[in-house]
Amino acid sequence: MAMNAKNMPADELFFGHKACAGCGGSLAVRAALKVLGPNAVAALPAGCMSAVGFNFPQLCFANNAMITPFAATAAVLTGIEAGLRAQGKKPDDCTVVGFAGDGGTADIGIQALSGAIDRNDDVLYICYDNEAYMNTGIQKSSLTPFGAKTTTTPVGKNSHGCLTQKKNVFEIVAAHGLPYAATASVGYMSDFLKKLERAKGIHGTRFIHVIAPCPTGWGAPESKMVDLARDVVDCGLWYLAEYEGEQVSGVPGGTFTLNCKPREFASVRDYLKGQGRFRALSDEEISLVERSRDAKWEMIERDWA
Amino acid sequence: MIEVLWHGRGGQGAFTAARLLGAASSFADGSYALAFPSFGPERRGAPMRAFTKMSREPIGDRSAVSRANYVIYLDDTLLGEGWEDELLPDGKVIVNSVRSFGDPRIVAIDANGISQEILGRPIPNTALLGALCSVCDYVSADNVKRAIEGYMPAKLHEKNKRVVDAALEAVGKTRAAGVAVNTDESLKSQVIGSVSRETTKDAHFDAPASRGETVIPTLQTDALDPADFAHTTCYDGGYLVAKNAGWRNMRPVLDAGKCTGCLQCYLYCPDGCLFRPARQTADAAGTAAVAIDYDFCKGCGVCVEMCRFGALAMVPESEGDER
Repeated sequence: MAMNAKNMPADELFFGHKACAGCGGSLAVRAALKVLGPNAVAALPAGCMSAVGFNFPQLCFANNAMITPFAATAAVLTGIEAGLRAQGKKPDDCTVVGFAGDGGTADIGIQALSGAIDRNDDVLYICYDNEAYMNTGIQKSSLTPFGAKTTTTPVGKNSHGCLTQKKNVFEIVAAHGLPYAATASVGYMSDFLKKLERAKGIHGTRFIHVIAPCPTGWGAPESKMVDLARDVVDCGLWYLAEYEGEQVSGVPGGTFTLNCKPREFASVRDYLKGQGRFRALSDEEISLVERSRDAKWEMIERDWA
Repeated sequence: MIEVLWHGRGGQGAFTAARLLGAASSFADGSYALAFPSFGPERRGAPMRAFTKMSREPIGDRSAVSRANYVIYLDDTLLGEGWEDELLPDGKVIVNSVRSFGDPRIVAIDANGISQEILGRPIPNTALLGALCSVCDYVSADNVKRAIEGYMPAKLHEKNKRVVDAALEAVGKTRAAGVAVNTDESLKSQVIGSVSRETTKDAHFDAPASRGETVIPTLQTDALDPADFAHTTCYDGGYLVAKNAGWRNMRPVLDAGKCTGCLQCYLYCPDGCLFRPARQTADAAGTAAVAIDYDFCKGCGVCVEMCRFGALAMVPESEGDER
């Protein structure tokens, strides 16, 4: 039976942390550890979740957890897994899991992630994506969407925020042909929990890319965090999908599945205008965002459906 | 040299106030000022400090202030044991609070009330700046307003200048009252009411007094056993020495009668502060499917948004205390 609010374990394994009120990233970590259980071993690179989870002596992970060098999340996961196995100390329900932000995954840590997938190490890599380097005060990463204001993509007379599109990390990872990859959103928790359970039960490298809004960096009320995580899916700027590699699906090259296909997209304008980081966008730029969404969905419906 | 130590929380504008004060004190020729903040690795809402040094001589000492002429608390939950140690002799504490603190060295002003009334948001920094002008002759209110014009965005000028005036007026009243009652040995320090709460002043001020003694909450204590504060939600592997309760100024409250037990609040709380009580407790909350861990709730309000049945609502922290 799928995990839900009623049957998920009561223990809080990530608790008392110093994240901002209404932090999407901390919700992603909390939910993931509920599924993975106390025997999971976590590794976190520089980023919000390591900064807020290990304020010595306030240690907020009940699991074994450690901080890794920024670029080395997946390499450290490999080492932890190999070390536990070599010592014969790896319980059956031990998942070695990494929690890296969007910068730590798509920019700085992508080579280590690619290497771990190449070796097909038995690790789970979770990218909590708040769409900028929030820990250091909101700088653009390669997962910052077009038009978002950050301190390195400012808004002014000559510029309206981020000029580049969000990198397709999910497809980059899937192109390696790993056993399992998925996208999720903290706003659709049952879907996220299902994917975590799925990933837990698969051996080899698994990857989950979960959207985790940051009220501080996005310029939105703290209470709207979960609503934003839903809106971004409803308006089509994010999608909930899974990739199953040949090892799992038996299909050469693997299969893509779209988990949620909105019958009609919610308003992109409403989603963007609810956030301070997109306030400067002109009508023309909003329609640019819509056009790139439509192009993406054309590809999704052609190739994945 | 006059040194001011600001205690605030990330997002309350303590550093802005420290800078404005430094600017205000340095308009005259031959005046010097220094302002700087001190942050930990924590986040918006976490305790932080800022410092202002003001002098007629060049300031060589750039280190943090450990004992100050004025210690200003933007949030009264930060005013804890040992506050005297940060105060120079004849120093004053100015605190943003609606409570009274039986000590003449502590001046309390409802800066949240004043700023909520004028700015529409409880950002107490400029109100405390106004209160400081009234207590400290080194800086004039006119210079503070000049600093606001020079260092804040134009759209904030008028309202913040009005906040300064309102704070000045509120402290002025108290000082007058202070002279009148100086002969009273049992004088409690005055709490300065906000303009908005004039009519309900008595109710607000009587509540703390009726408890018999002033309770100054502390965020950190030496001996915290997770069993004492995590209310069973915390797996005993973690090691927690500090609560997060003081981060919020609004708190969620549960109407057990409306709760259907859908557990969406529990599912989506980023801090895991809604929990399923292990056993029935005597109070009313024990009958609902969830309870709230106020020691760690940061008051983000996600749970209220998630509740489709109106069983959760946000109330100001000061009202929450009375429940």
